[in-house]
Amino acid sequence: MKYTIISEKIGTVGEEFVPGAGTNIEALLTHGFIKVETPSDSPAPKSAKNKAQPKKD
Amino acid sequence: MATSTYLSNPGVEVNSVSLTDQCTSCTVTSTIESLESTAFGSTSRVYTGGLANNEITMDLYMSYAATETYATLAALVGTTTTVKVSNTVAGLTTASATEPRFELVGCYLESLPVINATMGELSTISITFTGGVLTTVVA
Repeated sequence: MKYTIISEKIGTVGEEFVPGAGTNIEALLTHGFIKVETPSDSPAPKSAKNKAQPKKD
Repeated sequence: MATSTYLSNPGVEVNSVSLTDQCTSCTVTSTIESLESTAFGSTSRVYTGGLANNEITMDLYMSYAATETYATLAALVGTTTTVKVSNTVAGLTTASATEPRFELVGCYLESLPVINATMGELSTISITFTGGVLTTVVA
């Protein structure tokens, strides 16, 4: 799971937060220091469809 | 006369949150409990090292503003976290032999004074982190 910094008290806002050993993530989430990085809303690109091969008689 | 001194101006970080601008006093104490190993035939008491029992105490200005003292500490009561202290603010990120960083990983915050108010004074609190593994980072 990825986290993003939203408080300058723990680093540069917008950068990824990489928790060190012993870091209490729940406390940081609860009080608005970081947020969970959510995946983009845009749908994943569809895979190209293969054209149906003509049946051989 | 001391040949080398430094003006107390350390950097303090609790659970990755910088509290340097709220902290007025901080003490990191490395303790190895003593176990008595005196035996018959000894003429003096003798001790040997037991478990490490480290501790960090700090005095902080209390602030209930977003991402300040209360917000940093409230959710840590009864849990373990990591506290980092260096003799300089720069030492928190770039430690060196002259700017060592002391890290207490897995230390426990037993209590937090949620209000400590006195008429006409800035509110301050004293907290203590106990236990955990203390490491000294110098590079």
